[in-house]
Amino acid sequence: MAILQVKNLTKKFGPPAGGFTAVDNISFDLKEGEILGLLGPNGAGKTTTIDILLGLTKPTTGKVEMFGLPFEANREKILKQMNFSAAYVNLPWRLKVWENLYTFGRLYEVEDYKEKIEILIKEFQLFDLRNKLTDSLSSGQLTRLYLCKAFVNNPRLLLLDEPTAFLDPDISDLVRKYILNKVKTEKTSVLFTSHNMAEVTEICDRVIFLNKGKIVAEDTPVGLTKRIKFCKVRLFFDLNLGKAELLLKNYKYNFSSVEKEILVDIEEEKVGQLLGRLSLAKLKYSQITIEKPTLEHFFLEVIRNKNEN
Amino acid sequence: MRIKRIVAVVIRHLYIWPRSPERFMWTFGWPFFGLLIWGLTISFLQNNSSSNFSFITMIIGGIVFWEIIVQPQREISINFIDEMWNKNILNLFASPLTKAEYLTALVIIGIIKMFITVISLTIGSIVLYKFNIFASFGLHIPILFINLIIFGITLGLFVNSLILRFGISVQEIAWAIVAIVQPFSCVLYPLSSLPVWVQRISVVLPPTYVFEEMRRILFSNKIEINNLIFAFLLNLLYLVLTIWFFSVMFEKAREHGRLVKLN
Repeated sequence: MAILQVKNLTKKFGPPAGGFTAVDNISFDLKEGEILGLLGPNGAGKTTTIDILLGLTKPTTGKVEMFGLPFEANREKILKQMNFSAAYVNLPWRLKVWENLYTFGRLYEVEDYKEKIEILIKEFQLFDLRNKLTDSLSSGQLTRLYLCKAFVNNPRLLLLDEPTAFLDPDISDLVRKYILNKVKTEKTSVLFTSHNMAEVTEICDRVIFLNKGKIVAEDTPVGLTKRIKFCKVRLFFDLNLGKAELLLKNYKYNFSSVEKEILVDIEEEKVGQLLGRLSLAKLKYSQITIEKPTLEHFFLEVIRNKNEN
Repeated sequence: MRIKRIVAVVIRHLYIWPRSPERFMWTFGWPFFGLLIWGLTISFLQNNSSSNFSFITMIIGGIVFWEIIVQPQREISINFIDEMWNKNILNLFASPLTKAEYLTALVIIGIIKMFITVISLTIGSIVLYKFNIFASFGLHIPILFINLIIFGITLGLFVNSLILRFGISVQEIAWAIVAIVQPFSCVLYPLSSLPVWVQRISVVLPPTYVFEEMRRILFSNKIEINNLIFAFLLNLLYLVLTIWFFSVMFEKAREHGRLVKLN
């Protein structure tokens, strides 16, 4: 069942002539219990899309349905079942941790909010900080507080914009596990943005890649990385480095070398051919590493194309 | 309208009150200093005057009544701005909270703070000047208060609408608007003492009628209720127009992406 359905969504800012299209006719859906990554370079339209989904910005055209209901006509009903956390949104800094969470417990009309918050602050390791003022928390503690707020109403749909931006690796791991557990046990649907590609690969079931307001790719993280044909072959030569360089030059490989190491950018299917040529030339390497493309490579390629265009 | 959500916003602002020295000053400090300075000045002038006319009641009455406008206006506007300073405005409007619930909460906070200020000023004026506004205005208090409260609310919502339209850069108006309106509202002097062009502005401001009637009660113990009914109708008109203006500006802010930029 689709928890979120976006159809032909467009958002234009400014006058019709000379204005700016932040989101350009995008359509996607999010299923129950699915984690969907929304990726793209700065200015791709991710945040505008999230703002529209939260009802903070009105779309120019297009339809947004959540839980089978049109958003505008059912705003309260829908927002009660969803929540969000974003790196650019804070909580009142002169309130204590528990005061902030109680406020949002009441705003979302959570039945047993005091008990629920006590459990949450323990899970996010904030229990000892509950009586601290928000402005005395570190950035990592603040991020955990924002996540507590995001989970306070047990949302069916969660929008997370860079949720682990300021977290230590161990706490990031805790947060990722928490999200994955929620998805598994409570079928929470998550729309997730992050600049940490390894994180996206780890937790997202599917990724939508936005560029200049348009969806340029939609696939699983692994599927997207498969679209990158090139990989990197790292070779170490104790001897014959010069000969190896000459061979690569003759065959017009794209490579760079530092000390005893040569790094070759090559199509994945041509790695065998390269190794065969080295073998025929009796050039022995002491070590070889083949770096397969990652989501980060896909991200960089899209940005590179953007800059070239 | 959900009471629970209105209460959530009211409590959120009451939580920070005890730990905000500037807010204590707005509610207690500055109004009390005004009472002290004006009261002592007028007492001095009164003691050195041969007139039997009681300036002190007129001025103290004006000061206390003026706070009935100032407090709701300031609370409605500053609490709205406070959400922007805290980068919390998106959290609120991305929650099920509606515009009407949010404004209702701001109005409730404004009225609570207004009563606290008025009660503290009343105690101060009884102790310092032996002047009790509740005893002096008796049963007329509700209609006088209601007119001033509605005008304060209207000003507060008007400022918030301007912020939605022009952004946080116009926040200064939240402090300035009462100072702009005050000279035209006949708080400390009668309408007839003003130049004609100023009178033309004053007669369309509801507080003018309230302060005129306040003085009439003090000096002749009479009241022209029709003037206060007219002020009430003017107030209702302005309030309805301002709520409509706020609503339009809010939707325009969503349309043009200005709401998210307030954060």
